[in-house]
Amino acid sequence: MSANGVPRQVVLRSPRERIALRLPVRGIVVALSLLVGPIAVSCVSLSTGSYGVALDEIWQTLRGVTISQAIDNVVWEFRFPRTICAALVGAMMALSGGVLQNATRNSLADPSLVGISQGAALAVVTLTVLFPELNSGLRPWIAFVGSILVAIAIRALSYTRQGGSTIRFILMGIGLSAFISSLTSILLTYGEIDRAMAALAWLAGSVNAASWGDVWTLGSWSAVLFASLMLLSRAMSAMRFGEAAATGLGAPVALVRNLQLAIAVGFAAIATSVVGPLGFVGLIAPHAAKRLAPAGMGLHLVLTALLGALLVGLADLVGRAAFAPIQIPAGILTSLIGVPVFVLLLVRSRATGSH
Amino acid sequence: MSTSAAPVAAQHRIRAWSGVPALLAFLVGVFLLHIAVGAKPLPIGTVIEALTRFNPEIFNHVIVLNLRLPRAVLAVVVGASLSLAGALMQGVTRNPLADPGLLGLTAGAAFAVVVAHSVFGFSAMAATPWVAMAGALAAAVTVFFISRMVPGGATPLSMTLAGAAVSAFLGTIISLIHLLNQDTFENLRVWLTGTLAGRDLALLWYVGPPMLVALVAGIVLAPRVTVLAMGDEVARGLGVQTGMLKAQLLAVVVVLTAGAVALAGPLGFIGLVIPHVVRLYVGSDYRWIVPYSALVGAAYLVSVDIVARVAIPPRELSTGIITALVGAPLFVHLVRRRTR
Repeated sequence: MSANGVPRQVVLRSPRERIALRLPVRGIVVALSLLVGPIAVSCVSLSTGSYGVALDEIWQTLRGVTISQAIDNVVWEFRFPRTICAALVGAMMALSGGVLQNATRNSLADPSLVGISQGAALAVVTLTVLFPELNSGLRPWIAFVGSILVAIAIRALSYTRQGGSTIRFILMGIGLSAFISSLTSILLTYGEIDRAMAALAWLAGSVNAASWGDVWTLGSWSAVLFASLMLLSRAMSAMRFGEAAATGLGAPVALVRNLQLAIAVGFAAIATSVVGPLGFVGLIAPHAAKRLAPAGMGLHLVLTALLGALLVGLADLVGRAAFAPIQIPAGILTSLIGVPVFVLLLVRSRATGSH
Repeated sequence: MSTSAAPVAAQHRIRAWSGVPALLAFLVGVFLLHIAVGAKPLPIGTVIEALTRFNPEIFNHVIVLNLRLPRAVLAVVVGASLSLAGALMQGVTRNPLADPGLLGLTAGAAFAVVVAHSVFGFSAMAATPWVAMAGALAAAVTVFFISRMVPGGATPLSMTLAGAAVSAFLGTIISLIHLLNQDTFENLRVWLTGTLAGRDLALLWYVGPPMLVALVAGIVLAPRVTVLAMGDEVARGLGVQTGMLKAQLLAVVVVLTAGAVALAGPLGFIGLVIPHVVRLYVGSDYRWIVPYSALVGAAYLVSVDIVARVAIPPRELSTGIITALVGAPLFVHLVRRRTR
């Protein structure tokens, strides 16, 4: 903070000031130091495992030098795609939560809490168990359809004459998740056992089978979604002040909110379709980002994404190292951290007191 | 107002009494139907005959008494217990969304049983209910304290959110234990979806007596719940020792929930649904809501279990899946009605 109470910031202006970016210094510093986090975790992640590889050997391998065929294989075929997937999925789930919290103006919103992840899960499990002959490339699309249907259902059910009620949104989500989860259980319990086991492994939320194909899926989708999010971030900033104020500021409120929901659903659905449901990342990351640095909407989203990547990267690393040779799916660890955070937020929030 | 209050109360009493015979008849009907349906359908006459003049020489009589009857009895006990527990919880917490499942009690009981089985290799049948009770109690207390700490206090909303959080946490640890220990996963997988199939009825001999005591205690305490539901201060003004009463009711709820979980696994939403249905008929007097919930709950779970057995022959659905499929939409409906 500077002397007059306004955060210190640098202002970048394009010629003739068509575009001006005001960047708070602290936010930039935090973002840059956060960038180190996922990279450090990735390095450790690349070198640890049942086949240990020294850090400098990894550096060599990544630069294209072949030390040995085994190292090449381990790094390029298994660990590298897995590490990238963990980071991407973390960033996507974090962004989904962040956007969802903004769109619903509810600080407790998380895709796994309100049924969006469960919708994707039901769709994918249906595909795995009932139609195993269909191409698995369809997964992201199917997951997206499942999630968007759930989102529409919650939106319709929680809508009142006064507009969407935020707290209803969460309670509706809890009810819908229970309903969808029991449909999923039917498929799991009564589908053929092999297919059910495959679906079950996926449902735990693990990146251990990640391949380069998954990296491409995640990467291309998140690039598109992130770009649309950045375009929307200015209008989203206006929405932070409430809908009436945003209308006054000239933001097309209903359109922006629906676009936000679609983007949040997209992030969660694609990430879920590849690695399974990852609980509570979307809840933790945006709050942690808010704590670390005061920032405008755009920078806040960047920080959120970086924190999500760090969180899931760490969860994956700990999960496969802590109880080796048994691998704990990242989703289990994120839930174990996430639930206490949820309780903490619940206890500290003022928003839940009013309906 | 005071002139019209008495006739209204009387009206409710007459209406409430009038429902009892019909309800009992319905319960007996679905009970017999439950025994009659199955892989080998039996005529109702044979069922009644087997129950009244049992003849060990007749194969059908043996099926009824040894295979079908235990499961029907189980459905009655579990359905009545969970519904009564839900009714008491809704009265005490003044929370229309209260339910042993939603407030984390069933998750606590299930968690304790899984931990006892896998971590301590503790599978003594007689101990299971006590372990479940400890787990349910711990979870209930945790949820209550969390919701008390939320700004605005223990509202339906904060309780439901705290319950969801505690359930999610315990559920995650259960999955973790399953990953580390494949055997318990095999043993407990079906139990964890909540089903009445293949239950060891010997357990009922251990859990039955305390559950029966709790059921009776719940019905005896019910009139005071009506007072409690008006708020602590009103209740105290009317001479009710609220702290003591709440402790007794908590004990009743924990015993019933844990017993039901030990018998049938975590069955969700029964305790939420039934009291609301009952309230439509008998009004807001817990003297009626509580015993009615027990009766309707028993009939409901017996009916659900019939559906579970015949829905996708030759296999069986988990009963808990059906109760969730029916209960979740009602939960959504209640949320829509109760929140602005």
